[in-house]
Amino acid sequence: MKSIRATFAHDTWVMPYLRKYKWLLTLVLFLGLMTFFSAGALMFNSGYLISEAARRPDAMIYIYVPVVLARAFGIARPTFRYAERLTSHNWVLKIVSDFRKKLYETVEQKAVAIHQSHQTGDLLSILADDIDHIENLYLRTVFPIVIGWLLYLVVIIGVGVFSWQTGVLMLLLLGVIVVLMPLISVSVNGAREFQQRQIQHAFYTNLTDEVLGLSDWVISGRHDDFMALQEKPIKEIANLRRKDHFFQWWRGFWVQVFFLAAVVALLIWAGMAFTGSKMAANWVAAFVLALFPVVDPFLEISQGASEWPVYQQSIDRVNHLSHAPVTQTPQQSLPTTFETLAIEDLSFAYKGEESAVLQDVSLTVKAGEKLALLGPSGTGKSTLLKLILGDERPTKGHVQVNGIDIASLQDERANLFGVLDQQPYLFDTTVMNNVRLGNLNATDAEVKQAIEAVALKPLIESLPNGYDTEVQEAGARFSGGERQRLSLARILLQDAPVIILDEPTVSLDPITERQLLDTLFEVLHDKTIIWVTHHLAGINHVDEVRFLEAGQFDMQGTPADLYATEPRFKQLYDLDRGH
Amino acid sequence: MIDRRLFKMTGMTAKVAILAVLITIQAVMIIIQARSLAVAVVALWELKPPTTIAVPTGIFAVSFLARHLLTVWQNRTFFPFVEKTTGKMREDLMEKLFQLGPEIVEKEGTGNMVTMALEGIDKVQTYLMLIMIKILDMSITPWLILIYLAFMQFKSAAFLFVIYPLIILFMVILGFAAQDKADRQYAGYTRLSNNFVDTLRGLSTLKQLGLSKRYADNVYQVSEDYRKSTMATLRIALTSSFALDFFTTLSIAVIAVFLGFDLMAGRILLLPALTILTLAPDYFMPIRNFANDYHATLDGKNAMQAVLDVLETPVTQQKDSLPALTWDQKATLRFESVTFTYANGQRPALSGISFTATGFQKIGIIGASGSGKSTLVNLIGGFLTPDVAGQVMINGQPLPHLSQTTWQQNFLYIPQKPYLFHATLKQNIAFYKKTATDSAIERACERAGLTDWIATLPDGLATVIGEGARGVSGGQAQRIALARAFLDDSRKVLLFDEPTAHLDIETEAALKRDILPALTDHLVFFATHRLHWIGEMDYVLVMDHGQLVEQGTPSELAQKNGAYTKLRSEMEGLGL
Repeated sequence: MKSIRATFAHDTWVMPYLRKYKWLLTLVLFLGLMTFFSAGALMFNSGYLISEAARRPDAMIYIYVPVVLARAFGIARPTFRYAERLTSHNWVLKIVSDFRKKLYETVEQKAVAIHQSHQTGDLLSILADDIDHIENLYLRTVFPIVIGWLLYLVVIIGVGVFSWQTGVLMLLLLGVIVVLMPLISVSVNGAREFQQRQIQHAFYTNLTDEVLGLSDWVISGRHDDFMALQEKPIKEIANLRRKDHFFQWWRGFWVQVFFLAAVVALLIWAGMAFTGSKMAANWVAAFVLALFPVVDPFLEISQGASEWPVYQQSIDRVNHLSHAPVTQTPQQSLPTTFETLAIEDLSFAYKGEESAVLQDVSLTVKAGEKLALLGPSGTGKSTLLKLILGDERPTKGHVQVNGIDIASLQDERANLFGVLDQQPYLFDTTVMNNVRLGNLNATDAEVKQAIEAVALKPLIESLPNGYDTEVQEAGARFSGGERQRLSLARILLQDAPVIILDEPTVSLDPITERQLLDTLFEVLHDKTIIWVTHHLAGINHVDEVRFLEAGQFDMQGTPADLYATEPRFKQLYDLDRGH
Repeated sequence: MIDRRLFKMTGMTAKVAILAVLITIQAVMIIIQARSLAVAVVALWELKPPTTIAVPTGIFAVSFLARHLLTVWQNRTFFPFVEKTTGKMREDLMEKLFQLGPEIVEKEGTGNMVTMALEGIDKVQTYLMLIMIKILDMSITPWLILIYLAFMQFKSAAFLFVIYPLIILFMVILGFAAQDKADRQYAGYTRLSNNFVDTLRGLSTLKQLGLSKRYADNVYQVSEDYRKSTMATLRIALTSSFALDFFTTLSIAVIAVFLGFDLMAGRILLLPALTILTLAPDYFMPIRNFANDYHATLDGKNAMQAVLDVLETPVTQQKDSLPALTWDQKATLRFESVTFTYANGQRPALSGISFTATGFQKIGIIGASGSGKSTLVNLIGGFLTPDVAGQVMINGQPLPHLSQTTWQQNFLYIPQKPYLFHATLKQNIAFYKKTATDSAIERACERAGLTDWIATLPDGLATVIGEGARGVSGGQAQRIALARAFLDDSRKVLLFDEPTAHLDIETEAALKRDILPALTDHLVFFATHRLHWIGEMDYVLVMDHGQLVEQGTPSELAQKNGAYTKLRSEMEGLGL
């Protein structure tokens, strides 16, 4: 109970939406209640109908009302149910639209414009799944429980009107089913859920490990070790599933036991209360039969409750996400054209880590200059780019454009920087739309011009759908080099003065790489370029090369000078050229 | 609905027979329960004193409990069988995975295989639990009830009997039409949620382009448009369950009204009438249950199909054609006009590949991307099978393929990104030689240039690396693979597939210094487009569009002025 309260204490994902769509929600609950009410009423009415008919009254008129009602309830139940399902789905889909936007906005605030790692991608899928979970929370837990409880109330009041003692008895007996059992389900499943997560996680990690390293396993010939690794988790999972099933079966049985007690109690009460007259005795069958359809929604309550622990995690996760504060710096606009990018005495360490990634780095890039940054992985090249773009704030020193701190130019970012990284993203739409993202106001002719500039015109025009060709998910329709070119076209349309290249050729073969670099520097000849690269192919295109070693600049100079004066550079360059 | 392969599972028939008996008893209990309740109610209706209902109420309670205990019993009887079957399925799947090797993973995808073994088999378990019991229930319970009803009033039974196929007919007609639409809608839904994830993943690009804020409304709009179109289809899609609901509920109402008229006319007594009314919902119960679980069963059926399909994939045969082998100075590996076509390929990926590797040669494999370098390496490693048997030979013996246990014991494979297991560094290095001593491992680390790095690790060789643990850079990963090679000196063949392409130039230069000593006294296959390696090779295979266009020593090829020279000049570009 405490953990449930804690979950909702700072909740911004569940409660606000319950309020926002409260009328639709009320309608859903009403329709749900009416569905089961009609089902009960049908049996109630039918029980009365045949009891009354069995007295063989003189005229049809005596059973006329129950006859009409039987048909009415018979039609009402499926109709209510149909309406309820439509409304609840509509409600949930409405919420999903809100959720998506909200999640998007939350993630957007934190997204960093460079180097989305693989893990971030996985995290995003988890978050998207969380939204689906919250969706199910409503459909499978909240609605059935609330509807079940309302029905419970109706039953108790319905019986209590005739006899408050029997009403209290029903309150207790059915209370076990609708309150106690769900609570037990939550606590049992909560504990088990935790265990299950651990075992499943272990199994998952192990299995992924085995599948990814399969060629090593096969070559090593360690068949028995391979099989043995899964034995334990497979057994543990089986055990867990068995316990889970057994719990559900016996819970189902005990629900029936308490339900039986309620039916028998009602029967005995009816036997005492309604045997005064023949008229009254007609109600016995009505009351007893009416209770049967009620057991279905009651069974759903426990099932819904036992799923709660899964949903709770999701709610906690998304709530946690939106709570981290985001600091805002007042924004300025850039009054003049880009002149210089100055980095002064810049130091940076990631939060919670002692050793600095960058230490007292200074660098000035003037308009039109082309700079290449090299260095082994982990020396802070990508971090430097993040600092330049303003995605990270320096611990010491500053980054300025025309003398204005980059933190206050974030709104201008797209007008200042064009970024091409290792895996630029192509959205699942047409070539035309993808390139136009660089400048939404660009005409078709301008887009085509940009595509021509990156030397893709012949290829695109040879495709059956030309510029309207779908690029497919993550641009799968095109090769790595072609994807980079499409993104380059996008950057051309964006027309920002400074271009940041973050290892754009790392996954390309040397021929494609060389061709891409040639195009790149040709079309960007009048731009300022900061190029992080992992080797020296195409280095002849830049004015200056800088090596970053352990957070500080090391070798620097024009490529030709370095080749002449630095033996290390010469050796690396020759190696890169294949000598 | 039922996969025929279900009945081939060992022990299935026996369990089904027991279940059938239990379900029959349960149906009898349902009838007794309804009858005794009716007797009790009728007694009260006849204004008999409450004590008279003690016996029928007792019978009602007992049969009611028996009915639900039987449900538990059915589950408990069938579950061990399901558990054993699915447990074995998991094991078989792992076994199959080992037999089929990386090829199946490439075909199915890593994520797919893992999900199949974990969630897929869970779904199969649910499916097996549901399907047999539900189907038996549907084929026994309603008919026993119907027979009993027929004895009491033929007309009602006939009505219920006629309505049953009508329900199924309407469900099928409406269901198929709607299901088709719903399935398409569901596919649309998956696409939408994938799109949403895609948008999130492309967020950094949107941010770079200054569009990220504006896109929020787009996300909402797309989702809302989808909602509207979904609701339109749902209205139709839900008609199937509406039909079921409508006919069953209305049938009960109709039965009640019929009975009412018959009672008034004196054609039937209250006791049978009440029994019929009580039993009518139970008559429809099995089909309702079945329809409720329709999606779970469909899911499970598809999951089972996927698992069984993998399990039925033929395994590469004749893995032991090659007798014991120790690769030495005189050993030869020969390819003779080898052709290979991928399962879904229209044209061969490789054709007419002929070469001979002898002793401890160092063979470079070069070519533009897509020229077939990796495919060739995979053939040599035995991960792929040539189209025609007998074209590959070791020491003159023609073999169907190189997936030979004894051959695989002779080589090490070092790909672009060597896989690091989630285990300690030591376990990773000793993967191929579990029995290695600590000092041997340390020596191997020393030779692979790992010692300095290991000294910086908190737990040294005992540090856990791999997925979800300490990250290892690309250069260190290669060094770990190298240490494996140094440690297991009995493997005299080294297969490199582009080991340094993704490394930065400084790391590559340093790594090269440590790799070179490992190559001596080994047969080396080295596929790469980093040309500086070619200087270290004594034989080169030049690949182009799936064909071996040139081969020879580097100097021979340089003089020829053919494909090799052309490729080099294309890769190098202009100098400073």
